[in-house]
Amino acid sequence: MSEHPDTRDLLGPYVMGALEPYEERRVEDHLQGCASCREEAQELRPAHERLADLAYSTEAPPEDLKARLVAGMPRRGASRRVPTRVAAAAAAFCVLAVLGAITIPDFFGDRAMALANLSPTGRAPGAGGEVSIRGTGENMEMRIEVWGLPPCKSEHYYELWLVEGDERVSAGSFAVGQSGRVDVRMNAPNFAASYPRVGVTAENDKDPRASDAKMLSGELHEL
Amino acid sequence: MDRVEDEVLVRRVASGDERALSGLYDRYAGLVYGTGLRYLGDRETAEELVQDVFTSVWKNAAGFDPTRASFATWVYRITRNRATDLIRRRRARVGTVYGEPLFETGETDPSGELSRNFDVAAALSRLTAVHREVLVLAYFHGLSQREISDRTATPLGTVKSRTTAALRSLRETMRFDEDRWSADE
Repeated sequence: MSEHPDTRDLLGPYVMGALEPYEERRVEDHLQGCASCREEAQELRPAHERLADLAYSTEAPPEDLKARLVAGMPRRGASRRVPTRVAAAAAAFCVLAVLGAITIPDFFGDRAMALANLSPTGRAPGAGGEVSIRGTGENMEMRIEVWGLPPCKSEHYYELWLVEGDERVSAGSFAVGQSGRVDVRMNAPNFAASYPRVGVTAENDKDPRASDAKMLSGELHEL
Repeated sequence: MDRVEDEVLVRRVASGDERALSGLYDRYAGLVYGTGLRYLGDRETAEELVQDVFTSVWKNAAGFDPTRASFATWVYRITRNRATDLIRRRRARVGTVYGEPLFETGETDPSGELSRNFDVAAALSRLTAVHREVLVLAYFHGLSQREISDRTATPLGTVKSRTTAALRSLRETMRFDEDRWSADE
């Protein structure tokens, strides 16, 4: 191998197709008569192909995403969160949507951390409700009990939001039947109680953002 | 973060080290984001996938067991599962199916392409800085050998021989990983 160091050093760019035409011809001429370099080139190809596949599948994320992500991570052992879109995404991920009416007499064995009384908007003047957040550590639960909401038609549903300023974090969606009442619990991130407000909107589209159809809202008070 | 093994960074993440999370992000976020764009279809959802994956890494780092799988395998599984979650969530929200999801129920990366990509990303992260640099500039920035020479102020001949050495090193690293994890299975 030591008798052809120059050509051997070109095998990487050769398998990548990155040599000048005259160099490529030189390498190919050499490969005709050199089994060890042929073998070497053959062995470099899979590395080249996998790297090319990786490059094809890789796309630079938005430049500010890392800073937002790292800054928004829940602190170890902390119950408060930094209100960023990252925390919002984490919450959206952690909270499980529960569809339909589930009546559970008393599913919280421990003390409520936060409560909100829900007041109606003009869209459903007779509606009302309560939201409570209970639990410890990472395993929090939100309970929403509402009444007086218009029954959902096909593909319509209601969505509960954690609200801070312009930030809206979905806490899950639910449907209401003819009774207009529902009592639902949902898993919640441990920082859910740190939001100042909650709200309920009527939804019927693909848009993951909150619609303008506000039905209920209330201040969330930490206890 | 040069040449610090993924598994070391995960241990640091478990103790709350944000710089370690940043290091893992640098190695894998592009692949996660690219996966999101390719299979979930839009930038907003792809960004959500990145956030979900690295939030999960942050929250679950203490539970990562390096004797059972590499970090690349772990983060690949998280990415695959979160992508599936996002697809299902969209379906559940609207009751209709749109987009072309990669992962159908019971079918997990059947071609193995995504899994291989994470393994290659892991191997790339373990190369020396100079070897990684020539490969990243060539494959991810699309630079020619001469452009790499100009960019790095390195003689062209050195760039070519370094590229060859870097590909060899990547090949050996991938072989080592394959032997290591197949021996453990």
